[in-house]
Amino acid sequence: MKTIFDGKLRVLDLSMGWAGPLVGLMFAEMGAEVIKVEDTQHFDWWRGSLSMAAPEMQPIERASVFNTANRGKRGITLDLASPRGIEVLKRLIKVSDVLIENYSPRVMEKLGLPYSAVRAINPRMIMISMPSFGSDGPECEARGYGNTVEAMAGVTGLMGYHDGEQRYTLSNALGDPVGGLHGVFALLAALHERRRTGRGQWVELAQVEALIPFVTRSMLEYQFTGMVPRPRGNRHPEHAPHGIYRAAGDESWIAIACESDQQWKNLAAALSLDNLLNDDRFAVAANRKANEDALDASLSRAIAEMNADECVERLRTAGVLAAPVNSAPAVMGDPQLQSRDYFVAIDRAVVGTHLYPGAVANLPETPLRDDVPAPLLGEHNREVFREVLAMSDAEIAELEASGIIGSSPRQYRAAS
Amino acid sequence: MRYRALDDLRVIDVTHFIAGPYATKLLADMGADVIKVEPPWGEGGRKLGPNRNGIESSGTPDRGGLFAFLNLNKRAITINLKHDRGRELITRMLDGADLLIENFAPGTLASFGLAPDELIAKFPKLSVISISNFGQDGPERDGALNDLVLFARGGWTFPVGERDRAPLTPPGSLAQYVGAVYGAIGALQAIAARDFGLNRGQHIDISLLEATVATMIYETVTFQYSGIVRGRAGKRFAVGPFMIVTLKCKDGFAGLHCVTDKQFEGLCDLMGRRELLTDPRFRTALDRYGSNDALLKIVEEFFVDRDRKWLYSEGQRRAIPLVPIPSVAEVLDWEQTRARNYFETIDDPVLGKIRLPGTPLRLTSHRTEQSRPAPRLGEHNQEIFEGQLGLKRAELDALKIAGTI
Repeated sequence: MKTIFDGKLRVLDLSMGWAGPLVGLMFAEMGAEVIKVEDTQHFDWWRGSLSMAAPEMQPIERASVFNTANRGKRGITLDLASPRGIEVLKRLIKVSDVLIENYSPRVMEKLGLPYSAVRAINPRMIMISMPSFGSDGPECEARGYGNTVEAMAGVTGLMGYHDGEQRYTLSNALGDPVGGLHGVFALLAALHERRRTGRGQWVELAQVEALIPFVTRSMLEYQFTGMVPRPRGNRHPEHAPHGIYRAAGDESWIAIACESDQQWKNLAAALSLDNLLNDDRFAVAANRKANEDALDASLSRAIAEMNADECVERLRTAGVLAAPVNSAPAVMGDPQLQSRDYFVAIDRAVVGTHLYPGAVANLPETPLRDDVPAPLLGEHNREVFREVLAMSDAEIAELEASGIIGSSPRQYRAAS
Repeated sequence: MRYRALDDLRVIDVTHFIAGPYATKLLADMGADVIKVEPPWGEGGRKLGPNRNGIESSGTPDRGGLFAFLNLNKRAITINLKHDRGRELITRMLDGADLLIENFAPGTLASFGLAPDELIAKFPKLSVISISNFGQDGPERDGALNDLVLFARGGWTFPVGERDRAPLTPPGSLAQYVGAVYGAIGALQAIAARDFGLNRGQHIDISLLEATVATMIYETVTFQYSGIVRGRAGKRFAVGPFMIVTLKCKDGFAGLHCVTDKQFEGLCDLMGRRELLTDPRFRTALDRYGSNDALLKIVEEFFVDRDRKWLYSEGQRRAIPLVPIPSVAEVLDWEQTRARNYFETIDDPVLGKIRLPGTPLRLTSHRTEQSRPAPRLGEHNQEIFEGQLGLKRAELDALKIAGTI
């Protein structure tokens, strides 16, 4: 079965880290030809930021995050600090449809490639820029990564225990994937528009602006009440119990929520907590909220003795919302995910076979292709320059000799 | 704000609550003609708070605050899909539509006589996007969840919080919004497939659980490579060869993201402690991993006496990703969003003037228009049933009396 683009769309991915590369990854899933361009000096920092092994171990090929976010792409290198490298990039721009970049604002300008220049080379080109806080405005130069974007969107300020002062950053640098997903959406919209107008355009995605809408509810709460919402921790403003409780065993936790009096009765019955069932302090939601500390203490005592899986099963059967708090290996063992073959095994050079999170949408007529490994640094130089730019072997050899392209970093840069 | 990039698309939106409506809002913001179809008593999302009188989930008639946001730029009609005449009406609406988007429990549409595959066979241009908790198949297809349970199961919760306390759940409905964006992408993937030559629509299946797990690549892949399961590390993102941490300062909290050698140098300079660069405990990233607690202590002691504004400007001047941690009130008032005219003031017909986030992306191909407020229940019944479907006034009245619209 054919993919959506079936190789009829070419994407140049100049981005690094997670947000930008996720856009390229999802276009590769859709069957676009995605060419990841890495600078021979400043290759994608996600190759190095978590890797500390000795150079002969090829540490830059062992970064789990890079190898996840760049699946399905062809990898080339270019020295973007040299006029010759830029000249080759311009030739690629001429024959591509989409350009992804997430440099800080004005880097493309310094490379001589603001959108006006890109459009002059190829008026059908759709270029997306993904600055953290915007390409204009007084703080556009501020540096942001997933966690700092998350903070500036107001998410981190809402993250803390109900009775504590400390704020916490989320576990997944949410600003990054949210920025990337909106980048995919924006490019698909711009592609649809191009089909009608014949023209490309510049799309600007300030990552923080993609994430702010996710906390709209708290912003409205502030506007309506004049009070700044504070973290609620694992609790809910109306329902109780609503929390995370320790089960028997090491680091075994369960999330439980009752959203009605009936669910509470079902919970107490399912876990044989007759003393709680008959306790007036817990009979109706308002009472349970008023006595939530006592409620949580009683529940905690009871659940601490129980096996997590068994407890979750009993609660679910009783119609109570419950789930284990899954660690990474537990997520991978989730029976529902397994039954849908969500994770995909991919054999990648240097690191071997691992399971990677698969494409999310299931498109029966145009399946997403999520089983192609991430490229080694410069792995597809010859192939891409030959096929896409019709370069002669002599020219490629000359580029190699002059260091414009290459498949090993000229200077190993650990974590920088 | 509203663009026109998708103004040739018609979307029939039978979604409710958050994940579905935010998906169709993204399409509406890009100019798609989104027709929201609700039961005559309104979809459940109308009851979500907050309201002028507080955060409780009931109160204002017609809508709460979140509904007013999630349904900007849409038109709304009412149809009871359980009625035969209701099925007939929506079927007529689907004729010529590009997308049907739903987030009912799996199998619900079929129980209304609107099985996606049959609809697609009947209207070859149409694609159906289904967003559900766990997907359209699998042993737990019919399972229930809420935010707390979704975060926990999807892996977001486990690595966050104090070591001696329970893991800490993320706030609000973040993962549902992530699922919504996957839904909006799925919709445009169906359109792209058609634009690139597929001559039929398809039924696209999106699971909120999978969307939640997809945004956890730090965990699922990294633990396979390293064999290390990340646990709770208190205020730190993790204990590693970096210092990503939420720090108490004079007037609140600040977020520090110090990963590279260069950033560490900037941090030492900021603290006036350049001697740390040659301190054997901190010389390399690996050293900083081993001496992470000692480094944390130094950083904590420095931050606690400084205010956020100073830290932000002095940190950024040294190219460190160091930010204040604003409250949502401060985000609404942030100079950067003001300069970019990001927030939009909407004159909501029920709630009055409210400030809402603008579009999450900017197209430069054309100018934007002001957003239209979220529609009242059945606001566009007459416009659509009479104007588009050609129903007579008397027929409309009869449908109303029968409770179909």
